[in-house]
Amino acid sequence: MAERPLLGQLIDALKCLPGVGPKSAQRMAFHLLERDREGGRKLARVLDEAMERVGHCNMCRTLTEAELCRLCSNPKRDPATLCVVETPADVMAVEQAAGYRGLYFVLNGRLSPIDGVGPRELGLDLLERRLADGKVEEVILATNTTVEGEATAHYISEMAHASKVRVTRIAYGIPLGGELGYVDGGTLSHAIAGRREM
Amino acid sequence: MERDILHSAFILHRRPYSNTSLLLELFTPRLGRLPALAKGVLGGKRNNSAALQPFQPLLVRLAGRGEVRVLAVGEADGEALPLKARGLYCGFYLNELLMRLLGRDDPHPRLYQHYFEALGALSRGIDELEPVLRRFEIALLRELGYQPEFDRLADGSAPDPQGRYAYRLEEGLAPAQLHDPGAVSGRTLQALCGEVDFGDHERREARRLMRGILSHYLGGRPLKSRELFQSRIGNK
Ligand SMILES: [Zn+2]
Repeated sequence: MAERPLLGQLIDALKCLPGVGPKSAQRMAFHLLERDREGGRKLARVLDEAMERVGHCNMCRTLTEAELCRLCSNPKRDPATLCVVETPADVMAVEQAAGYRGLYFVLNGRLSPIDGVGPRELGLDLLERRLADGKVEEVILATNTTVEGEATAHYISEMAHASKVRVTRIAYGIPLGGELGYVDGGTLSHAIAGRREM
Repeated sequence: MERDILHSAFILHRRPYSNTSLLLELFTPRLGRLPALAKGVLGGKRNNSAALQPFQPLLVRLAGRGEVRVLAVGEADGEALPLKARGLYCGFYLNELLMRLLGRDDPHPRLYQHYFEALGALSRGIDELEPVLRRFEIALLRELGYQPEFDRLADGSAPDPQGRYAYRLEEGLAPAQLHDPGAVSGRTLQALCGEVDFGDHERREARRLMRGILSHYLGGRPLKSRELFQSRIGNK
Protein backbone atom coordinates (compact mmCIF):
# COMPACT_ATOMS: atom_id res chain seq x y z
CA MET A 1 0.00 0.00 0.00
CA ALA A 2 1.29 3.43 -0.94
CA GLU A 3 2.25 5.86 1.82
CA ARG A 4 -0.54 8.35 2.57
CA PRO A 5 0.13 11.83 1.17
CA LEU A 6 2.10 13.93 3.66
CA LEU A 7 -0.52 16.67 3.67
CA GLY A 8 -3.14 14.23 4.89
CA GLN A 9 -0.76 12.89 7.53
CA LEU A 10 -0.03 16.42 8.77
CA ILE A 11 -3.73 17.29 9.06
CA ASP A 12 -4.34 14.05 10.92
CA ALA A 13 -1.42 14.63 13.27
CA LEU A 14 -2.61 18.16 14.15
CA LYS A 15 -5.92 16.74 15.35
CA CYS A 16 -4.18 15.44 18.48
CA LEU A 17 -4.13 19.02 19.79
CA PRO A 18 -6.91 19.88 22.25
CA GLY A 19 -9.83 21.70 20.66
CA VAL A 20 -8.58 21.00 17.13
CA GLY A 21 -11.03 19.20 14.87
CA PRO A 22 -10.64 18.30 11.16
CA LYS A 23 -11.50 21.83 9.95
CA SER A 24 -9.03 23.71 12.12
CA ALA A 25 -6.36 21.05 11.51
CA GLN A 26 -6.74 21.65 7.80
CA ARG A 27 -6.53 25.41 8.27
CA MET A 28 -3.36 25.07 10.35
CA ALA A 29 -1.71 22.76 7.84
CA PHE A 30 -2.44 25.11 4.92
CA HIS A 31 -1.28 28.10 6.92
CA LEU A 32 2.08 26.53 7.72
CA LEU A 33 2.66 25.21 4.19
CA GLU A 34 1.52 28.29 2.30
CA ARG A 35 2.44 31.17 4.61
CA ASP A 36 4.90 30.19 7.30
CA ARG A 37 7.28 27.36 6.48
CA GLU A 38 9.94 28.84 8.76
CA GLY A 39 7.48 28.87 11.69
CA GLY A 40 6.51 25.32 10.81
CA ARG A 41 10.14 24.16 10.81
CA LYS A 42 10.77 25.82 14.14
CA LEU A 43 7.62 24.21 15.59
CA ALA A 44 8.75 20.81 14.35
CA ARG A 45 12.23 21.22 15.84
CA VAL A 46 11.05 22.45 19.23
CA LEU A 47 8.21 19.93 19.39
CA ASP A 48 10.55 17.07 18.64
CA GLU A 49 13.10 18.22 21.18
CA ALA A 50 10.49 18.86 23.87
CA MET A 51 8.91 15.44 23.36
CA GLU A 52 12.37 13.87 23.60
CA ARG A 53 13.77 15.77 26.55
CA VAL A 54 11.06 17.18 28.82
CA GLY A 55 10.52 14.97 31.83
CA HIS A 56 9.60 15.50 35.47
CA CYS A 57 11.53 17.43 38.10
CA ASN A 58 13.13 15.10 40.64
CA MET A 59 11.93 17.26 43.51
CA CYS A 60 8.48 18.53 42.60
CA ARG A 61 7.54 16.41 39.55
CA THR A 62 6.58 19.37 37.39
CA LEU A 63 7.56 19.34 33.72
CA THR A 64 11.19 20.23 32.99
CA GLU A 65 14.12 19.01 30.90
CA ALA A 66 16.49 19.48 33.84
CA GLU A 67 17.00 17.28 36.88
CA LEU A 68 15.61 20.12 38.97
CA CYS A 69 13.14 22.66 37.64
CA ARG A 70 13.85 26.41 37.78
CA LEU A 71 11.68 26.85 40.86
CA CYS A 72 13.22 24.03 42.87
CA SER A 73 16.76 25.20 42.01
CA ASN A 74 16.05 28.86 42.80
CA PRO A 75 17.75 29.69 46.16
CA LYS A 76 15.39 32.68 46.67
CA ARG A 77 12.37 30.39 47.01
CA ASP A 78 11.36 29.44 50.55
CA PRO A 79 11.86 25.68 51.03
CA ALA A 80 9.82 25.68 54.25
CA THR A 81 6.54 26.18 52.38
CA LEU A 82 5.28 23.60 49.92
CA CYS A 83 2.23 24.11 47.73
CA VAL A 84 0.66 20.89 46.43
CA VAL A 85 -1.18 21.17 43.11
CA GLU A 86 -2.71 18.73 40.66
CA THR A 87 -1.04 19.82 37.41
CA PRO A 88 1.96 21.74 36.03
CA ALA A 89 -0.61 24.21 34.64
CA ASP A 90 -1.72 24.88 38.23
CA VAL A 91 1.90 25.81 39.11
CA MET A 92 1.80 28.40 36.34
CA ALA A 93 -1.60 29.64 37.50
CA VAL A 94 -0.41 30.18 41.08
CA GLU A 95 2.92 31.68 39.92
CA GLN A 96 1.18 34.22 37.71
CA ALA A 97 -1.46 35.15 40.25
CA ALA A 98 -0.51 34.87 43.82
CA GLY A 99 2.87 36.31 44.80
CA TYR A 100 3.71 32.97 46.35
CA ARG A 101 7.38 32.49 47.31
CA GLY A 102 7.53 28.85 48.40
CA LEU A 103 8.06 25.64 46.45
CA TYR A 104 5.63 23.22 44.80
CA PHE A 105 4.79 19.57 44.58
CA VAL A 106 2.90 18.51 41.46
CA LEU A 107 0.71 15.41 41.70
CA ASN A 108 0.04 15.12 37.97
CA GLY A 109 -3.45 13.90 38.84
CA ARG A 110 -5.70 13.38 41.84
CA LEU A 111 -6.80 10.33 43.80
CA SER A 112 -9.34 8.48 41.69
CA PRO A 113 -9.53 4.79 42.57
CA ILE A 114 -11.89 3.84 39.75
CA ASP A 115 -9.32 5.19 37.28
CA GLY A 116 -6.62 3.17 39.01
CA VAL A 117 -5.04 6.27 40.56
CA GLY A 118 -4.02 5.66 44.16
CA PRO A 119 -1.41 7.29 46.42
CA ARG A 120 1.57 5.68 44.70
CA GLU A 121 0.49 6.74 41.21
CA LEU A 122 0.57 10.35 42.42
CA GLY A 123 4.11 10.02 43.74
CA LEU A 124 2.90 10.47 47.30
CA ASP A 125 5.65 8.18 48.55
CA LEU A 126 8.08 10.83 47.28
CA LEU A 127 6.09 13.56 49.00
CA GLU A 128 5.95 11.53 52.20
CA ARG A 129 9.75 11.24 52.28
CA ARG A 130 10.06 14.95 51.61
CA LEU A 131 7.73 15.80 54.49
CA ALA A 132 9.61 13.43 56.76
CA ASP A 133 13.01 15.06 56.18
CA GLY A 134 12.05 18.05 58.31
CA LYS A 135 12.73 20.99 55.94
CA VAL A 136 9.09 21.65 55.11
CA GLU A 137 7.19 23.54 57.82
CA GLU A 138 3.90 24.13 56.02
CA VAL A 139 2.05 22.31 53.27
CA ILE A 140 -0.53 24.34 51.34
CA LEU A 141 -3.07 22.05 49.72
CA ALA A 142 -4.14 23.65 46.45
CA THR A 143 -5.87 20.68 44.87
CA ASN A 144 -9.16 21.33 43.09
CA THR A 145 -12.37 21.56 45.11
CA THR A 146 -13.82 18.54 43.33
CA VAL A 147 -14.52 15.47 45.50
CA GLU A 148 -11.37 13.85 44.11
CA GLY A 149 -9.36 16.97 44.95
CA GLU A 150 -10.80 17.02 48.49
CA ALA A 151 -9.99 13.35 49.05
CA THR A 152 -6.46 13.97 47.80
CA ALA A 153 -6.10 16.95 50.14
CA HIS A 154 -7.30 14.89 53.07
CA TYR A 155 -4.92 12.04 52.32
CA ILE A 156 -1.94 14.41 52.14
CA SER A 157 -3.05 16.19 55.32
CA GLU A 158 -2.96 12.86 57.17
CA MET A 159 0.56 12.27 55.85
CA ALA A 160 1.67 15.75 56.87
CA HIS A 161 0.18 15.46 60.35
CA ALA A 162 2.11 12.21 60.79
CA SER A 163 5.30 14.17 60.04
CA LYS A 164 4.21 17.05 62.32
CA VAL A 165 4.04 19.45 59.37
CA ARG A 166 1.49 22.28 59.48
CA VAL A 167 -1.25 21.84 56.87
CA THR A 168 -3.37 24.53 55.26
CA ARG A 169 -5.97 24.29 52.51
CA ILE A 170 -6.70 27.06 50.03
CA ALA A 171 -10.12 28.27 50.98
CA TYR A 172 -12.55 30.81 49.68
CA GLY A 173 -12.64 32.10 46.18
CA ILE A 174 -12.55 28.83 44.34
CA PRO A 175 -16.07 27.86 43.22
CA LEU A 176 -17.26 24.45 44.40
CA GLY A 177 -16.47 21.89 41.77
CA GLY A 178 -14.10 24.40 40.22
CA GLU A 179 -10.80 23.70 38.55
CA LEU A 180 -7.86 26.05 39.11
CA GLY A 181 -7.22 26.49 35.41
CA TYR A 182 -10.52 28.29 34.98
CA VAL A 183 -10.19 30.70 37.89
CA ASP A 184 -9.07 34.31 37.42
CA GLY A 185 -5.90 35.58 39.08
CA GLY A 186 -7.57 37.81 41.68
CA THR A 187 -9.74 34.98 42.93
CA LEU A 188 -6.73 32.74 43.16
CA SER A 189 -4.75 35.33 45.17
CA HIS A 190 -7.61 35.53 47.66
CA ALA A 191 -7.75 31.78 47.89
CA ILE A 192 -4.05 31.55 48.70
CA ALA A 193 -4.23 34.42 51.22
CA GLY A 194 -7.27 32.90 52.94
CA ARG A 195 -5.97 29.35 53.31
CA ARG A 196 -6.90 27.58 56.54
CA GLU A 197 -5.67 24.89 58.90
CA MET A 198 -6.74 21.36 58.05
CA MET B 1 -42.20 9.49 26.33
CA GLU B 2 -39.04 7.95 27.75
CA ARG B 3 -37.13 11.16 27.14
CA ASP B 4 -39.50 13.22 29.25
CA ILE B 5 -38.93 11.18 32.37
CA LEU B 6 -36.86 12.72 35.14
CA HIS B 7 -34.67 10.16 36.88
CA SER B 8 -33.02 10.41 40.24
CA ALA B 9 -29.36 9.67 39.77
CA PHE B 10 -25.90 9.67 41.31
CA ILE B 11 -22.66 9.94 39.38
CA LEU B 12 -20.41 6.99 40.14
CA HIS B 13 -17.59 8.17 37.91
CA ARG B 14 -16.86 10.90 35.41
CA ARG B 15 -14.10 11.71 33.03
CA PRO B 16 -13.45 14.41 30.47
CA TYR B 17 -14.62 13.60 26.97
CA SER B 18 -13.27 16.01 24.38
CA ASN B 19 -12.49 19.49 25.72
CA THR B 20 -15.89 20.51 26.88
CA SER B 21 -17.84 17.36 27.69
CA LEU B 22 -17.93 14.80 30.48
CA LEU B 23 -18.58 11.10 30.13
CA LEU B 24 -20.58 10.11 33.20
CA GLU B 25 -21.37 6.76 34.68
CA LEU B 26 -24.80 7.18 36.28
CA PHE B 27 -26.56 5.07 38.88
CA THR B 28 -30.35 5.39 38.81
CA PRO B 29 -33.16 3.44 40.50
CA ARG B 30 -35.04 2.42 37.37
CA LEU B 31 -32.29 2.12 34.76
CA GLY B 32 -29.48 0.82 36.94
CA ARG B 33 -25.96 1.82 35.98
CA LEU B 34 -25.48 3.44 32.58
CA PRO B 35 -23.13 5.79 30.72
CA ALA B 36 -24.26 9.26 29.68
CA LEU B 37 -22.54 12.10 27.88
CA ALA B 38 -22.84 15.60 29.37
CA LYS B 39 -22.08 17.88 26.44
CA GLY B 40 -20.52 21.32 26.72
CA VAL B 41 -20.40 21.48 30.51
CA LEU B 42 -16.66 22.06 30.95
CA GLY B 43 -14.70 25.26 30.62
CA GLY B 44 -15.67 28.59 29.19
CA LYS B 45 -17.69 31.12 31.13
CA ARG B 46 -20.51 28.75 31.90
CA ASN B 47 -18.80 26.02 33.84
CA ASN B 48 -21.80 23.81 34.54
CA SER B 49 -19.84 20.87 35.81
CA ALA B 50 -19.97 21.77 39.51
CA ALA B 51 -23.25 19.93 40.14
CA LEU B 52 -22.10 16.95 38.10
CA GLN B 53 -20.02 15.44 40.88
CA PRO B 54 -20.19 12.17 42.77
CA PHE B 55 -22.31 12.17 45.97
CA GLN B 56 -24.59 14.91 44.63
CA PRO B 57 -28.21 13.76 44.27
CA LEU B 58 -29.28 14.65 40.74
CA LEU B 59 -32.36 14.80 38.62
CA VAL B 60 -31.51 13.87 35.04
CA ARG B 61 -33.34 13.64 31.78
CA LEU B 62 -31.75 11.36 29.22
CA ALA B 63 -31.97 11.59 25.46
CA GLY B 64 -30.63 9.43 22.66
CA ARG B 65 -31.00 5.76 21.99
CA GLY B 66 -27.45 4.49 21.61
CA GLU B 67 -25.44 2.70 24.23
CA VAL B 68 -24.31 6.06 25.57
CA ARG B 69 -27.24 8.37 26.33
CA VAL B 70 -27.02 12.12 26.22
CA LEU B 71 -27.70 14.10 29.36
CA ALA B 72 -30.47 16.49 28.31
CA VAL B 73 -30.97 17.85 31.83
CA GLY B 74 -28.79 17.29 34.85
CA GLU B 75 -29.45 19.37 37.92
CA ALA B 76 -28.90 19.14 41.65
CA ASP B 77 -31.74 17.51 43.58
CA GLY B 78 -30.99 18.96 47.00
CA GLU B 79 -27.65 19.49 48.68
CA ALA B 80 -24.64 17.32 47.92
CA LEU B 81 -24.03 14.76 50.66
CA PRO B 82 -21.14 16.41 52.49
CA LEU B 83 -18.66 13.56 52.74
CA LYS B 84 -15.55 14.56 54.62
CA ALA B 85 -12.18 13.04 55.31
CA ARG B 86 -12.40 9.25 55.53
CA GLY B 87 -16.08 9.45 54.67
CA LEU B 88 -14.95 10.49 51.20
CA TYR B 89 -12.76 7.41 50.90
CA CYS B 90 -15.78 5.32 51.90
CA GLY B 91 -17.86 7.00 49.21
CA PHE B 92 -15.22 6.18 46.60
CA TYR B 93 -15.20 2.63 47.91
CA LEU B 94 -18.99 2.27 47.43
CA ASN B 95 -18.71 3.69 43.92
CA GLU B 96 -15.90 1.34 43.00
CA LEU B 97 -17.88 -1.62 44.33
CA LEU B 98 -20.84 -0.66 42.13
CA MET B 99 -18.64 -0.07 39.09
CA ARG B 100 -17.00 -3.46 39.52
CA LEU B 101 -19.89 -5.68 40.58
CA LEU B 102 -23.06 -4.18 39.15
CA GLY B 103 -23.45 -4.65 35.40
CA ARG B 104 -24.85 -1.93 33.18
CA ASP B 105 -28.60 -1.67 32.55
CA ASP B 106 -29.46 -3.97 35.43
CA PRO B 107 -31.91 -1.98 37.59
CA HIS B 108 -31.98 -2.49 41.37
CA PRO B 109 -34.21 0.17 42.94
CA ARG B 110 -33.67 -1.22 46.44
CA LEU B 111 -29.91 -1.14 45.99
CA TYR B 112 -30.19 2.51 44.97
CA GLN B 113 -32.03 3.14 48.22
CA HIS B 114 -29.32 1.33 50.19
CA TYR B 115 -26.69 3.44 48.41
CA PHE B 116 -28.54 6.66 49.20
CA GLU B 117 -28.89 5.68 52.85
CA ALA B 118 -25.24 4.63 53.10
CA LEU B 119 -24.08 7.99 51.71
CA GLY B 120 -26.42 9.72 54.14
CA ALA B 121 -24.95 7.80 57.07
CA LEU B 122 -21.38 8.50 55.90
CA SER B 123 -22.10 12.20 55.49
CA ARG B 124 -23.66 12.68 58.92
CA GLY B 125 -20.26 11.87 60.35
CA ILE B 126 -21.76 10.49 63.57
CA ASP B 127 -22.19 6.88 62.50
CA GLU B 128 -19.14 4.70 62.50
CA LEU B 129 -17.94 4.27 58.95
CA GLU B 130 -17.14 0.56 58.79
CA PRO B 131 -20.58 -0.82 59.79
CA VAL B 132 -22.07 1.36 57.04
CA LEU B 133 -19.72 -0.25 54.50
CA ARG B 134 -20.49 -3.77 55.76
CA ARG B 135 -24.25 -3.19 55.55
CA PHE B 136 -23.90 -1.93 51.99
CA GLU B 137 -21.66 -4.83 50.95
CA ILE B 138 -24.23 -7.32 52.22
CA ALA B 139 -27.11 -5.46 50.54
CA LEU B 140 -25.16 -5.41 47.27
CA LEU B 141 -24.38 -9.13 47.36
CA ARG B 142 -28.01 -9.97 48.19
CA GLU B 143 -29.32 -7.78 45.37
CA LEU B 144 -26.96 -9.49 42.94
CA GLY B 145 -28.36 -12.83 44.06
CA TYR B 146 -25.36 -14.14 45.99
CA GLN B 147 -27.33 -14.48 49.25
CA PRO B 148 -24.68 -14.51 51.93
CA GLU B 149 -26.46 -15.76 55.08
CA PHE B 150 -24.97 -14.86 58.43
CA ASP B 151 -27.92 -15.63 60.70
CA ARG B 152 -27.84 -19.39 60.31
CA LEU B 153 -25.37 -22.16 59.55
CA ALA B 154 -25.41 -24.34 56.46
CA ASP B 155 -27.26 -27.02 58.46
CA GLY B 156 -29.98 -24.54 59.41
CA SER B 157 -29.05 -24.09 63.06
CA ALA B 158 -28.40 -20.71 64.66
CA PRO B 159 -24.80 -19.67 65.39
CA ASP B 160 -23.75 -19.45 69.03
CA PRO B 161 -22.35 -16.01 69.95
CA GLN B 162 -19.43 -17.73 71.69
CA GLY B 163 -18.68 -20.09 68.78
CA ARG B 164 -16.19 -19.76 65.92
CA TYR B 165 -17.34 -20.18 62.33
CA ALA B 166 -15.85 -20.42 58.87
CA TYR B 167 -17.63 -19.23 55.73
CA ARG B 168 -17.36 -21.23 52.52
CA LEU B 169 -18.62 -19.82 49.26
CA GLU B 170 -21.68 -21.57 47.89
CA GLU B 171 -21.99 -23.54 51.12
CA GLY B 172 -22.32 -21.05 53.93
CA LEU B 173 -21.29 -21.15 57.55
CA ALA B 174 -19.99 -24.13 59.45
CA PRO B 175 -18.21 -24.53 62.82
CA ALA B 176 -14.54 -23.65 62.29
CA GLN B 177 -11.59 -25.95 62.68
CA LEU B 178 -9.36 -25.07 65.61
CA HIS B 179 -6.98 -22.20 64.68
CA ASP B 180 -8.67 -21.51 61.34
CA PRO B 181 -7.24 -18.03 60.56
CA GLY B 182 -10.33 -17.12 58.51
CA ALA B 183 -12.82 -17.96 61.25
CA VAL B 184 -15.09 -15.35 62.83
CA SER B 185 -16.99 -15.32 66.10
CA GLY B 186 -20.73 -15.81 66.41
CA ARG B 187 -20.89 -12.30 67.80
CA THR B 188 -19.37 -10.89 64.59
CA LEU B 189 -22.09 -12.69 62.62
CA GLN B 190 -24.71 -11.13 64.90
CA ALA B 191 -23.18 -7.70 64.29
CA LEU B 192 -23.33 -8.27 60.53
CA CYS B 193 -27.03 -9.09 60.92
CA GLY B 194 -27.52 -5.87 62.87
CA GLU B 195 -28.46 -7.69 66.08
CA VAL B 196 -25.60 -6.32 68.19
CA ASP B 197 -23.21 -3.39 67.81
CA PHE B 198 -19.74 -3.79 66.37
CA GLY B 199 -16.84 -3.71 68.81
CA ASP B 200 -13.26 -3.39 67.59
CA HIS B 201 -12.86 -7.13 67.43
CA GLU B 202 -16.10 -7.66 65.46
CA ARG B 203 -15.16 -4.82 63.11
CA ARG B 204 -11.83 -6.41 62.26
CA GLU B 205 -13.34 -9.86 61.76
CA ALA B 206 -16.23 -8.56 59.69
CA ARG B 207 -13.85 -6.61 57.45
CA ARG B 208 -11.72 -9.69 56.86
CA LEU B 209 -14.74 -11.93 56.23
CA MET B 210 -16.40 -9.55 53.75
CA ARG B 211 -13.11 -8.86 51.98
CA GLY B 212 -12.66 -12.59 51.42
CA ILE B 213 -16.19 -13.03 50.08
CA LEU B 214 -15.99 -9.96 47.84
CA SER B 215 -12.60 -10.88 46.42
CA HIS B 216 -14.19 -14.02 44.99
CA TYR B 217 -16.71 -11.96 43.01
CA LEU B 218 -14.13 -9.31 42.12
CA GLY B 219 -12.07 -11.95 40.36
CA GLY B 220 -8.75 -11.38 42.05
CA ARG B 221 -8.15 -7.73 41.12
CA PRO B 222 -8.38 -5.89 44.45
CA LEU B 223 -10.31 -2.67 44.96
CA LYS B 224 -8.08 0.35 44.43
CA SER B 225 -9.93 2.49 46.97
CA ARG B 226 -8.72 0.19 49.77
CA GLU B 227 -5.30 1.81 49.35
CA LEU B 228 -6.71 5.08 50.65
CA PHE B 229 -7.41 3.58 54.05
CA GLN B 230 -3.74 2.72 54.52
CA SER B 231 -2.50 6.20 55.19
CA ARG B 232 1.20 5.30 55.34
CA ILE B 233 2.31 4.35 51.85
CA GLY B 234 5.35 2.51 53.14
CA ASN B 235 3.46 -0.25 54.97
CA LYS B 236 1.41 -1.96 52.32
ZN1 LIG C 1 10.87 21.18 40.75
